[in-house]
Amino acid sequence: MLRQLKILEFTLSSLLRRKYKNLSLITVYAFTIATLGSVLFLTHALKMEATGSLTTAPELVVQRVAAGRHDLIPTAYTEVISKLPGVASVTPRVWGYYYDSLIKANLTLVGISSYQGDLELLEGRLPDNAEECAIGRGVAIAFGPAIGDDLVLEDSGKSRTVFKITGIFRAESNLLTNDLVVLQEAALRDFFSMDQKLATDLVVQVHNQREIKTLAKKIKYNLPDTRPITRDEILHTYDTLFNWRSGMMLAVAVAALISFCILAWDKATGISAEEKQEIGVLKAIGWETSDVLAVKFWEGTVISLTSFVLGILAAWIHVFAFGAPALVPLLKGWSVLFPEFQLTPAVDFYQVFVLGFLTIVPYLACTVIPSWKTAVTEPEYVMRG
Amino acid sequence: MILHPGILALLCGSLITVLVMLLASWLGVQILLRWDMSSSSEEQLLLERKTWLVSTLLNYALGFQIFSVVLFIFTAEDIHRLFVGAMCATGSLNANLVGWLVLLVKGILLFAAAFWVVLNRLDQRTEDCPLVRPKYLALVLITPLVVLDLYLQWRYFSGLQPEVITSCCGSLFSAGGDSVASDLAGMPVRQAMLLFFSIIGSYLVVLSFCIVFKASVLRHLLFIVSVLMFFVSIGAVISFISPYIYQMPSHHCPFDMLQANYSYIGYPLYVGLFVATLYGMLPGLCQPLRKYASLRREIDSFEKRWLWVAMAGMLVFLTISCWQMLFGSFKLFGY
Amino acid sequence: MSQLIIVERLHKIYHRHQPDEMTALQDISLQILAGEVVALTGPSGSGKTTLLSLLGCMSRPTSGSIQLRDSNVAKLPERFLAKIRRETFGFVFQQYNLVRDLSVLENVMLPLYPSDQSLREIKKAATAVLDQFELAGMLKKKVKQLSGGEQQRVAIARALVADPEIIIADEPTAHLDSELAQDLLQILAVLNAAGKTIVIATHDPSIYQSSLVQRRFDLRHGRIVEEHSR
Repeated sequence: MLRQLKILEFTLSSLLRRKYKNLSLITVYAFTIATLGSVLFLTHALKMEATGSLTTAPELVVQRVAAGRHDLIPTAYTEVISKLPGVASVTPRVWGYYYDSLIKANLTLVGISSYQGDLELLEGRLPDNAEECAIGRGVAIAFGPAIGDDLVLEDSGKSRTVFKITGIFRAESNLLTNDLVVLQEAALRDFFSMDQKLATDLVVQVHNQREIKTLAKKIKYNLPDTRPITRDEILHTYDTLFNWRSGMMLAVAVAALISFCILAWDKATGISAEEKQEIGVLKAIGWETSDVLAVKFWEGTVISLTSFVLGILAAWIHVFAFGAPALVPLLKGWSVLFPEFQLTPAVDFYQVFVLGFLTIVPYLACTVIPSWKTAVTEPEYVMRG
Repeated sequence: MILHPGILALLCGSLITVLVMLLASWLGVQILLRWDMSSSSEEQLLLERKTWLVSTLLNYALGFQIFSVVLFIFTAEDIHRLFVGAMCATGSLNANLVGWLVLLVKGILLFAAAFWVVLNRLDQRTEDCPLVRPKYLALVLITPLVVLDLYLQWRYFSGLQPEVITSCCGSLFSAGGDSVASDLAGMPVRQAMLLFFSIIGSYLVVLSFCIVFKASVLRHLLFIVSVLMFFVSIGAVISFISPYIYQMPSHHCPFDMLQANYSYIGYPLYVGLFVATLYGMLPGLCQPLRKYASLRREIDSFEKRWLWVAMAGMLVFLTISCWQMLFGSFKLFGY
Repeated sequence: MSQLIIVERLHKIYHRHQPDEMTALQDISLQILAGEVVALTGPSGSGKTTLLSLLGCMSRPTSGSIQLRDSNVAKLPERFLAKIRRETFGFVFQQYNLVRDLSVLENVMLPLYPSDQSLREIKKAATAVLDQFELAGMLKKKVKQLSGGEQQRVAIARALVADPEIIIADEPTAHLDSELAQDLLQILAVLNAAGKTIVIATHDPSIYQSSLVQRRFDLRHGRIVEEHSR
């Protein structure tokens, strides 16, 4: 134990002696870790954001399916469902997507009188007549208006409708309000020319969380043309999606790790004549092979832990202070109007652990053979000059 | 399913361990075939040096394996959300048949690798290295296990179907089921406690006797008691220790205690149990090796330390598992 | 005086059974008594250094035995040789072989790192030895900043820090002028008087002809051709 401590001390001082060589190694290593770390942190934060915003989402949504596709649901279904035992309330929602050819992006249009969600993060106010609207931060940036300006949308009949902007959602959160345009329900029905007897979907509130599954089955049984979607199912989908995404990017980033390992191998193998001489001296004056192996082990550990801490810090700053500028383009695929998000720092121990396992294990494994080669330097070597 | 970051890390780590072990066995085979202690040829010298490479490789592999077990349980915990019905690691492990098998293989590997490292250290301290052949033979036997570990992990993770509805600890470890696990959970608390404390008691008694007396039969006895103690303790954790830790009479999950909600209390608990078992088994395991004079000296000089380490491990395990029983407000009796 | 090292029929062949096979030592037998000063002489390539490294437990012979006190070190595994080197021998090399980037103190501490002593004890022991050689003023100096004579003294201090029984010196005066060589002889004389056994490989007559050296083995082509005793 004492011996290990002394050897650790020696290792530290010899690392400091070769600071330029080791610094360059640490820089590259830390950079690799930062790349992998950014991917993990970003996807994890996005996942948290998405699942976080979903906690305010309804527990159960009922859609109608026609010809295998999502279709508008008759508001009459509301009564059928609310008669089922365990149902607290049923609310029809009116919302839809709108593609704007000018900014080439999809907007989500939501009718207000039926939207019961949390709309508190709003600057200004919600629309209170058919000519007004509230918009998400992303929409505001894309179109460039401020509160009081007009938003012009073109309906399916190619006629233009002008809405006065009364509120803009704050940027703090979140993925859900970014591409949002909130209108009065009547105005929205008008805009989409939607029948009064139809709604986009129904939101069902239940008394007892545990009954959601049973209730979903009952709804499906009573109304065979509907599709009940529980919040848990959406969460699963999100999880799978984000895991897949981060895994995908990790797989790419692992390539960077491999190339780093090759570099590390090269660095460790090509020990200088001076270093070889030094090891020879140590062996000659009585250091054992195991002592030199211990030096090499500590060297690897110190280098990887230093790089790990630096890399994690860099990744954290990159993702949470600057919004991951280097990675966002890779993620953009899933929503054209990708939010200008302000990520809430969310790092858990598991992410750090995964990152450590993924980066330190290959490095240490890479250094075993070179360390051994150094450690078995013959003491006689130094006698031969 | 493979593209989950944790799974990717696990598979990468296992692949590296496999490579490390393959290299070690390749060297091991060379050493087995050509080892000749009496020769002073350069070849023998090279082989002697290669033994250092092999032991370093094995030390690293053991280290990786330890972290890999932790990461595996962590990952099972993390992916439970993907399975309908799963609420913790147990649910994920239930998602297909291989999950528990992976955990079993990892456990066996952990013990095997730890024994190898300890015996190797002993052997390297002697002048004549009497264990060279058995050691490298064992190495060649451990390697397929590592390969199996990688293969099973691959099978487990690639076979995961997120749509599958799994049972979670609530149903696996609930008293009503008909599996071994639920039998354990459903075992009457009083009997379970009696069994647990009597085996722990005998472990402590035999251990103390070993510390005081030198009789070989005591070491063999301690070996047997340690193995029994390990399985009974695992059973006890499921049966009544976890409900005490969670303060919930029907929560029998052996993994939840590894989570932050329970301030990672499971780690010292399991480490203590592992150490107590491993070091309790060592003296008995080393008895047959005492026929080599050189090893006998080393074993004698280390044995005391092992026994005390075993004692320390046991005390940690016992303290953590019984703390709530003694001082908590929660009472399992009466349910 | 008791016999400290008994060498019998020692052979050392490099790259055996290979095209570049080279016999470095053949059939060497000699004895070294405790407290003796022995010189190995001969032209370069005669096997002095090889013999010295075998005596100093730095490598193992191809055949033959080296009895150091009670144990035959010729057959010991490498890690035990390291322990013997550490505890029994002090080495002074031709090139000094100091670690140039380390300070004087750190260099002298090096042999004690693998021991059971704490870092503080090691530091104390190293400082004490350096004090004897009037180097106490330059503990923190890097070795590369020292003069040749100072480096020589640091090298000797390092060889002595573990209080070895036998001192092995390989061409210790090769890089010293005659004045410094005389200093060295004086130091060796003091050490010998303190009971240390000293084995020197040298082709410097001022060393092997000095009154200090009690016996001399002359080597040619890996064989001892002559033994002079005083």
